Amino acid sequence: MKKREIIIVNILIVGLILFIIAKYANDRAVESNLASIASFEKMTTTTEQIVANYLEDEQHLCDIWANYINGSAKAGTPMTMDEAISYIRKAKISPEISGHLIFTDDGSMAGISTTAGSTEPSDYSVNYSHIPIFEQSKNTDEDSVLHLTRAYTNPLNGVQSIGFLNDIRILDPRTKKLRDVLMIRVVPVSRLEQKLVFLKGEWEHVEISLVDWDGNYMIHGKSLKNSNFYEYIKSYNPMSAREYSKTIDSIHGGIGTMHIKNSKNEDCVIAYVPLSGLVSWFLIAYIPEADLTVNRSIDWLILGIVTIGLMILLHFNLLLLQKYNRKLIVAAEAANQANEAKSNFLSTMSHDIRTPMNAIIGMNEMILRDSREEEILMYSENIRTAGNTLLGIINDILDFSKIEAGKMEVIEVDYNVVSLLNDVVNMVQRKADEKNLEVQLDVDEQIPGFLHGDEIRIKQVIINILSNAVKYTREGSVVFSVHGERCEEDADYVNLHVSVKDTGIGIRKEDLDRLFVAFERIEEKKNRNVEGTGLGMAIAQSFLNMMGSKIQVESEYGKGSEFSFDLRQKVISWEPLGEFQAAYKRFLQDREQYHVSFVAPEARILVVDDNEMNLKVFVNLLRQTRIQIDMAESGDAAIVLFKRNFYDIILLDHMMPDKDGIETIKEMKACTDTPNQRSPIICLTANAVSGMREMYLKAGFDDYLTKPIDTLKLEQMLLTYLPQELIAKVEKEKHRILIVHEKVESLRRLMGVLSAAYDVSVAKSLQQAEAFLKTHEVKAILMDENMPGGEEMKGDNVLRDHFDDLKPDEIMAKVKDFLQRKG
Amino acid sequence: MRMSAKKVVSIALVSMLLWNVTGCKSRPGGGDEAGKGSKAKQAKEFSPKYASDTEYKLSVTGSYSNFESLESAIDRFYEYYPNGEISYTCLDDYRNTIVPALAGQEPPDIYVVQPWMYGDEQFTELFDHAIDLSNPELGIQLDCIRSGVQWNMEQGKVLTLPVFATSYGMLVNRDIFEKNNLDVPETFEELKEVCKKLKEAGYPSPVMGANTTTTPGIGYAFSYPMFAKTVKEDRSVEDDLNQLLPSAGEVMRPSLTRLQEFADSGCIDVAMCAKEIEDDYNAVIMRFFEGDVPMMLCSGDVVSGTKKREGQSQAFSAHPFHYDFYVAPSGDEGGYYMDSVSMLFSVNKESRNLDMTTEFIRFLTSEKELGQMAAEKRLITPTRDYSLDEVYASLASFPEERTVAFRDTEILDGAVKQFRSAAYAVVNHDMTVDEAVKRYGTIPTD
Repeated sequence: MKKREIIIVNILIVGLILFIIAKYANDRAVESNLASIASFEKMTTTTEQIVANYLEDEQHLCDIWANYINGSAKAGTPMTMDEAISYIRKAKISPEISGHLIFTDDGSMAGISTTAGSTEPSDYSVNYSHIPIFEQSKNTDEDSVLHLTRAYTNPLNGVQSIGFLNDIRILDPRTKKLRDVLMIRVVPVSRLEQKLVFLKGEWEHVEISLVDWDGNYMIHGKSLKNSNFYEYIKSYNPMSAREYSKTIDSIHGGIGTMHIKNSKNEDCVIAYVPLSGLVSWFLIAYIPEADLTVNRSIDWLILGIVTIGLMILLHFNLLLLQKYNRKLIVAAEAANQANEAKSNFLSTMSHDIRTPMNAIIGMNEMILRDSREEEILMYSENIRTAGNTLLGIINDILDFSKIEAGKMEVIEVDYNVVSLLNDVVNMVQRKADEKNLEVQLDVDEQIPGFLHGDEIRIKQVIINILSNAVKYTREGSVVFSVHGERCEEDADYVNLHVSVKDTGIGIRKEDLDRLFVAFERIEEKKNRNVEGTGLGMAIAQSFLNMMGSKIQVESEYGKGSEFSFDLRQKVISWEPLGEFQAAYKRFLQDREQYHVSFVAPEARILVVDDNEMNLKVFVNLLRQTRIQIDMAESGDAAIVLFKRNFYDIILLDHMMPDKDGIETIKEMKACTDTPNQRSPIICLTANAVSGMREMYLKAGFDDYLTKPIDTLKLEQMLLTYLPQELIAKVEKEKHRILIVHEKVESLRRLMGVLSAAYDVSVAKSLQQAEAFLKTHEVKAILMDENMPGGEEMKGDNVLRDHFDDLKPDEIMAKVKDFLQRKG
Repeated sequence: MRMSAKKVVSIALVSMLLWNVTGCKSRPGGGDEAGKGSKAKQAKEFSPKYASDTEYKLSVTGSYSNFESLESAIDRFYEYYPNGEISYTCLDDYRNTIVPALAGQEPPDIYVVQPWMYGDEQFTELFDHAIDLSNPELGIQLDCIRSGVQWNMEQGKVLTLPVFATSYGMLVNRDIFEKNNLDVPETFEELKEVCKKLKEAGYPSPVMGANTTTTPGIGYAFSYPMFAKTVKEDRSVEDDLNQLLPSAGEVMRPSLTRLQEFADSGCIDVAMCAKEIEDDYNAVIMRFFEGDVPMMLCSGDVVSGTKKREGQSQAFSAHPFHYDFYVAPSGDEGGYYMDSVSMLFSVNKESRNLDMTTEFIRFLTSEKELGQMAAEKRLITPTRDYSLDEVYASLASFPEERTVAFRDTEILDGAVKQFRSAAYAVVNHDMTVDEAVKRYGTIPTD
């Protein structure tokens, strides 16, 4: 993880912690606010009680007056207006409060007051005809004890007042009849406001208002604007008609709170409660929301401390991490250097072993091609086997280094299943024979003959498993089974099941896990004589993993093991393989012995290698192609030839003293006075570690070929880069046969019959024949049965017959059949 | 580069600040006071006289049930003096209760006065209780008030502060004029021409109005300013007019003749007006908001109700349009602008907190505050600056010679009522102009 990522993660964690703290603090604050609002609502209810009690008290006093006056009327001594007003003057205690008596029965709404008007000290008359308050008083509940007006202007002194009402009966002294009179106990609103002053202590900015059903104010809070509370809400809180109606319904509906905006667009809270005893009056308590929300400064303080603490922790951790990182960087550099050293070692080892191996295997190839002596051929074949084994070990190491570097790739090609099986069987058959082990083949006849996959890797896997089976089996047999069935999910594919079962030493259960660990060898001491690097199974498992499979092992210690794997392969041809043995023979018949694949006598190539032996190997391997080959033992010598002669291809070694292949190719590429500016340059190197191919192509080489040289690969590469016009097909070489007959006529006749198809030599005596055979190799010796001493000539290439008695076509058929049987 | 940018911004900000705090006298139209730089400086920005933590409680009484524009001004005053409370109370039956209130236990500190109260014995107390606002010790900058609406009493006393002005004229639907590529008419001839084109465009009554005897009514709104102009030009008839002498009726002739001409010109369908406009306030506004009336005769008080009713009119909400107030183009050279006072404040000399009361009045007396109050109420500002409410923008540059100021005439209520009734009768063909002139003083006014 990079430093930046660590910082980001740390900041995220710090942020998360801060978020949680802030959220917790906020949740607590919200809870506290809700509690404040509930408390505010409770205060409103308490206030409502105080107001309601006060109003009831005032109403009660009004009712006492009325009862007294009405009592007099009931007792038969009704009071006149003057008597009644005189009584009220005596009964009322507070000078601020007055009593008004007005006639309602004549609609005049005029009468007298206990107090004179403020402008005329002697005038006690009062007139309510222009003050429309009595309609609204009907809004009060009929069952209620309260009968009062809205806040109105006292016509006598202009003071905003509330009127508590009751009906009385008064005697009209003129008519001696009782008249309906409305008695009003007039109380200044300011008196009611004084009752609410106590609230200031609890919430400084609370404002109490009293409104009627329609929202008209009786008492008006400072912040509540307009003449009507509902109009105030509507003015400063834009809402639809439906929302407005809902808001009004909420207030009419009972006790509650709501959040609104005031005239300054500030958030505020109002609590509302209907006044007890009145159906249409409401107490509204207003307060700025800020007064109800808790002071969060303490939370921010904690938040700040935690933030600083976490940031200090973050910095401390970063410093600590930097310290450890520096140590890690040093360790990583050391590891990189070690890894580089390993790579260099692998490269050097690969190169240094492959260079002499090229000479060994190449020279041995020459022996195999040219020698006809069986004993020498046998020795030579042993050299080839040992060489290939050594090469296999090197390749295993290189493969493993490739796998470790992640550079191993699966390369899929179309392949012949018989050829693959044959190769793997051939590889182990010789060793099995040496140990007298029977290799039993159990190959499903229905397996398709041509598949598509990484033939090389599959072959390596099977050879590894088979080789191990042969290596670790002292006696008994090795059963190699291959079965296949069509893929159910995809008709173009076949599932191959490959298993190798042996009667070997077996593996302990506890060792099974170590089987696929690189460089691990099970029971090292016991098996120290068995050759191996401990890489084979690890590589095989890696290859199978890359191909989507894996090796399964079942083993019984001391009795044997079975290694198997399943592999999904694309089918190229569904033609069944048939009986493997027959197919194997057919394959062998079809496969020809090595023959040069082309000739190009007009082609000219340059091969550059500091190792004289390798140059000889190279020239000999290509001898039959008849290509003109120039050799150079150094980069400088090569550049001289490069400038002077035209070459169709240049093969250049890498590791050379003085001027290596890379330096040489750079100089060649920079050279302009040369006929070879377009000639392909192929790197011929013993350096076969992973990544080399890319390195050489980047350096300017057109292609790359490893040593030891594989003749087929070499010829294939030359075919790729040589101009087509220079390539000619190889004329098939006629088999050389020697006819031994003492009659010259017979020799002539036989020569006449066979010379068209064969390279015919003749000898009319055994001595001549033996002398000829010392210097020439022949495919067959046709010995006349009547040849004296002819029976002394031994060998499986001697065909004896009475050729004089045979017709020409019979002679041809017999020779052909003989040669075919001989292979 | 950075420094120069800062300089530019600083200079711009300082310039804006200086421009914004320009006082009453630096406004256009204040030419006669030009040069009185020191006073202008004082008026630039309200500067509190007392400590900001001064506690106070003031009351204002008036007859408006809603006085939101005053409440807004109070809120702005609270920014300077937050520890107080100013409450506005609408008195029931203000006409009869304001005088007792002044003499009562809870007298208001500030109370509303209206021009018609002056001279009426019932309201003498209102003026007797008022302090002289021109007292230099108070520092009230009365010179931001338009000279036409300034009300100076004997010895130069100023007992009232004009808060709102009003006038008579017409609401004009600007969209209709723009749609028909017409200019708002300024003369009577232009009015007839425009009305002809509007009728052709499908407006059956290009001018409408309330067919009532009240001040916003058709006759009064169209012809009273012309009548007042006639009186202003010859004030010798004023006494006879006020004494309702029939001989004084002749002074009505020019304006009533023009009214007759207007009613007969086809510019207005009086019957249609009577049918479709039921009252002289709400119905006038709602009918105008229907959007098909090019010109609606009315008073400034009617205009004050338009803002609230924009949202109440479904037609206007669906298809809003631009409208402005213009004087009615009754004259041959142009219309006549009656620069009247709608409402005034007086300060109670018995106020229990006279210092803070006058401080509040000092705060209010500025083009900014009075203009803002008028704009909120949608009445005409009493100051020189009409720019705060674009509806009245047409009045800003109105020619002085055709303006009849508040104190240019002293036509008493009785004479006014005679003219209103005469105008109503002429518009409805109940009387000819000759009959109306002849019957001056005895024309029924109920």
